[in-house]
Amino acid sequence: MVAVTRLQNIRRLVRRRCLILDGATGTELQRRGLPAGACPETWCLDHPEEIRAIHKEYAKAGSDIIYTCTFGANRLKLAQYGRSEVREINRELALLARVSVGRKVMVAGDIGPTGYFVEPFGELPFEEAVAVFREQIDGLVSGGVDLLVIETMMDIQEARAALIAAREGSGLFTMATMTFEKGGRTLNGTDAAAALVTLQSLGAHAVGCNCSTGPSEMMDTVKSMSRLRRVPLVAKPNAGMPRLQPDGTTVFSMTPEEFAGYGKTFVSLGVGLMGGCCGTTPDHIAALKEDLRGAIPPTPVRGGLSAVSSARKALVFEDGAPLLIIGERINPTGKTDLQKELRSGRTELAARMARDQERQGADLLDVNVGVPGIDQKETAASVIKTLSVASMLPLVVDSTDPAVIERSLRIYPGRALINSVSGGEDRMEAVLETARHYGAMFILLPLTSEGVPGSFEERKAAVRSIYERARQYGFTKADIIIDGLVMTVASNPDAPAEVLKTIEWASRSFHCRTLLGLSNVSFGLPERKWINGAFLAMAQSRGLTVAIANPADEELMHLKAAGDVLTGRDPDAAAYCSRFSTDFSTAAPVLKQALSLPERITRAVIEGSRSEIRELLKMALDAGEKPQAILSGLLIPAITEVGDMYEKRQYFLPQLIAAAETMQEGVAFLEPFIERGGGKDISSVAIVMATVEGDIHDIGKNIVALMLRNQGYTVIDLGKDVSAHRIIEEASRSKADLVGLSALMTTTMTQMEKTVLQARREGLKCPFLVGGAVVTPSWAESIGARYAKDGVEAVRVVGELLKKKESD
Amino acid sequence: MARVHFFERIVIDPPKERIYRRLGYRRKTTILSEGERKMVDETIERGRDHLHLRGASLLMSVLSVDSSGIELPGGVRFDSARLASFLEGCEEVLLMGATGGGDIIEAIARETEERNLAGAVVLDAAASEMVDASLDWIAGYHNNLLRREGKSLMGRRYSAGYGDFDLLYQKDIYELLEMHRLGVSITEQAILVPEKSVTAITGIVKR
Repeated sequence: MVAVTRLQNIRRLVRRRCLILDGATGTELQRRGLPAGACPETWCLDHPEEIRAIHKEYAKAGSDIIYTCTFGANRLKLAQYGRSEVREINRELALLARVSVGRKVMVAGDIGPTGYFVEPFGELPFEEAVAVFREQIDGLVSGGVDLLVIETMMDIQEARAALIAAREGSGLFTMATMTFEKGGRTLNGTDAAAALVTLQSLGAHAVGCNCSTGPSEMMDTVKSMSRLRRVPLVAKPNAGMPRLQPDGTTVFSMTPEEFAGYGKTFVSLGVGLMGGCCGTTPDHIAALKEDLRGAIPPTPVRGGLSAVSSARKALVFEDGAPLLIIGERINPTGKTDLQKELRSGRTELAARMARDQERQGADLLDVNVGVPGIDQKETAASVIKTLSVASMLPLVVDSTDPAVIERSLRIYPGRALINSVSGGEDRMEAVLETARHYGAMFILLPLTSEGVPGSFEERKAAVRSIYERARQYGFTKADIIIDGLVMTVASNPDAPAEVLKTIEWASRSFHCRTLLGLSNVSFGLPERKWINGAFLAMAQSRGLTVAIANPADEELMHLKAAGDVLTGRDPDAAAYCSRFSTDFSTAAPVLKQALSLPERITRAVIEGSRSEIRELLKMALDAGEKPQAILSGLLIPAITEVGDMYEKRQYFLPQLIAAAETMQEGVAFLEPFIERGGGKDISSVAIVMATVEGDIHDIGKNIVALMLRNQGYTVIDLGKDVSAHRIIEEASRSKADLVGLSALMTTTMTQMEKTVLQARREGLKCPFLVGGAVVTPSWAESIGARYAKDGVEAVRVVGELLKKKESD
Repeated sequence: MARVHFFERIVIDPPKERIYRRLGYRRKTTILSEGERKMVDETIERGRDHLHLRGASLLMSVLSVDSSGIELPGGVRFDSARLASFLEGCEEVLLMGATGGGDIIEAIARETEERNLAGAVVLDAAASEMVDASLDWIAGYHNNLLRREGKSLMGRRYSAGYGDFDLLYQKDIYELLEMHRLGVSITEQAILVPEKSVTAITGIVKR
């Protein structure tokens, strides 16, 4: 009861004015003698007068809330200093804070990161992380803190673990702040919107950011949170960015006045609790207090928020936005390979399916692990952990089992969508309670105890009934997506019309988001994709928000894009045009048709069009062109031009190689038709290539080999980690005209020297060409070899060496 | 001595600009069609599927720095005047290691065998830059913790094989970071296997 009263008091206060937090503690402690490498918490217990003085100074400066000095007072951090009395240390430091500031200033129990990443991002098991924080919170609560603050989190999953521990271990007002790097993401890649959506839906009473940046840079992060907030925001920036001094030390240089100058803008964005982090002092807090006197943060703009999140990003179901696609592939029904994988406890296939669907344009991923006879709870948790790392997309937890849903939501590092909640079953209450506990959104399936309602009117009644029940759990319409409940047209020709009426009513009259499991409509019919596509377009025109579909169905995805344009959800058809932008090159073939055949062959090499070179060369041969003339008159000039473009940096490496591979394809095609005889046949020039013994880096050598082959030389590539003996043996056997060696590292380049010396001792006279990241022309010369920096230069140097050899 | 910190999953986006640059792309000079850019971008994304980024780090105090090298606890000494100059004034250093795992190396070899060397070089560059970015990530992690102690990492880092810092010292760094726990081994010539694995050292400065 006491906790509830405190919580309501803080909520009331933050509605009336921006509450002032304290400033930096760590740097203040160092100023007061905390030795480097010492445990701040135990040092404070040994020097209580120092931390008391800091608390008092902040209270005197105007802080409404000060943080206990317990940032690292968790089991894992304290163990590094040989301490294990977690509850006692937290309790003592909380009491110390209270004694320092009395009752007029509130005391926030400070919870920092453990220093470990939590699964699925690290080694620390999620429930162990919850237990670690719970133990710390028990100590803080027994020390009489007024509220809790989870701060400086880099890992959203660790922040979730701490927040769950706070909610399950106390009824106190809890703030959660993460630390965002300059690019606006946490170190683990969570953006500000995702952090806000995840933490506020999980029950944080205020969400925000601290540390890492100064107020100017933090403003962008706060702006990203501002429009999605349902709770007050928190900001605790550093005193500017650290600057390196000539003596090698760094300082935060922002003055108290400069720092405080940002306060009002923060408040206008919804910041209801503001203080300072690294480099800030009681003077900064005093200036901030003065500047924010009377500043009232605007009320959060949203009563409810239709949004889900992954560990990386948030997805808001905005009115008038393009239709969203939930990828349906991660479902073992009818997929024996996925069933087999899930039975064996592996998740690689699910990860691959997730990545494929993400690339194909899915916005969310449905996850169903309904294989009979397996532990679905553990399997779901395992798949969700894998997908949370493998994909950026938010997940849809698809199960009929409340226990599977609970296990999935607890471990999922974001705000999930539950598929689904339906009426007429006992499980509805269990799923609603779980959804409430973890703050998830859910799909409302208008089923009743009598089964599937056939008519629109019956469905409408079912929706209203389930929604009324959900409201009692605190849900709003923003938390719900209504399923139109698609039935197959083959068994009931009227069913699609009832579905469409349901979608239209739910979207336009009931003002809820809507969804269709699309493929059911075509069940039992041939060429199902056309029925699916037509139905999707019809539903789009009725206001459909999201469809469960297979994003690999290209026609369907094209239709969706077209539907977005025609329903005004893709203004200026920007997304539609962008989707087909690469196909604008279809204009190119028309132009290409206008080119002569020789010009087209040349272009194919220059543009690296490997797929068309054979066909073009066949056409040329059929037209009576001589193969040798094609090679010397078209292909070689083309690849020479590519080499020039590469040297001028007009082409970069992938283009050079694509052209070289096209050339190689062309040469291979022409080879059987080329008549030998007269003059020296260039293919009789043998070049042995190898990456030397002890070295495993061969990409550079492979490029040089490709370029030399394109000149018509016979290249014998011995691979990597090749002994001097083997190289010399092959060079002798093949009567090599030249040997090319590569090495990347300083420790292996000596093998080049060894190989050259041994070759000379054994009477091998052919020239050596060497290259690699650490090789220089002078070093090459010192071992009696020539140097080439890349494939293009290698071609030139080899030409010179062979010419010289011939003239000798 | 402090313990080694292991990072089992490093989640980062491909640093595309750095990957393109590594491949020789110059913004104002290189002519790249939309189709070619798409091919490169898709290959980078494919590379991401094959990269399993993991890392390790270790904070160590510096026992002494003289003109010829630095001495660390446990009898570790790095003889390198340039490293000593780089770390001058630092009382602590951070050793870091990262790997992209073996899967990406197999993918590069497969592309090469299938005569798609253009794809292989893009994967190779993506892997190199992602592993390098993992060291930035590890540095970022430590900077977040050090900031509260009034310290930060130097902006640059140094690796065995640079200047007069002999590559063979990578063996000591490998042992200190217990990189075998990341599935990385080291050859007689101090080459890390799998190939896309790196180590580095940087200094810690005080505010």
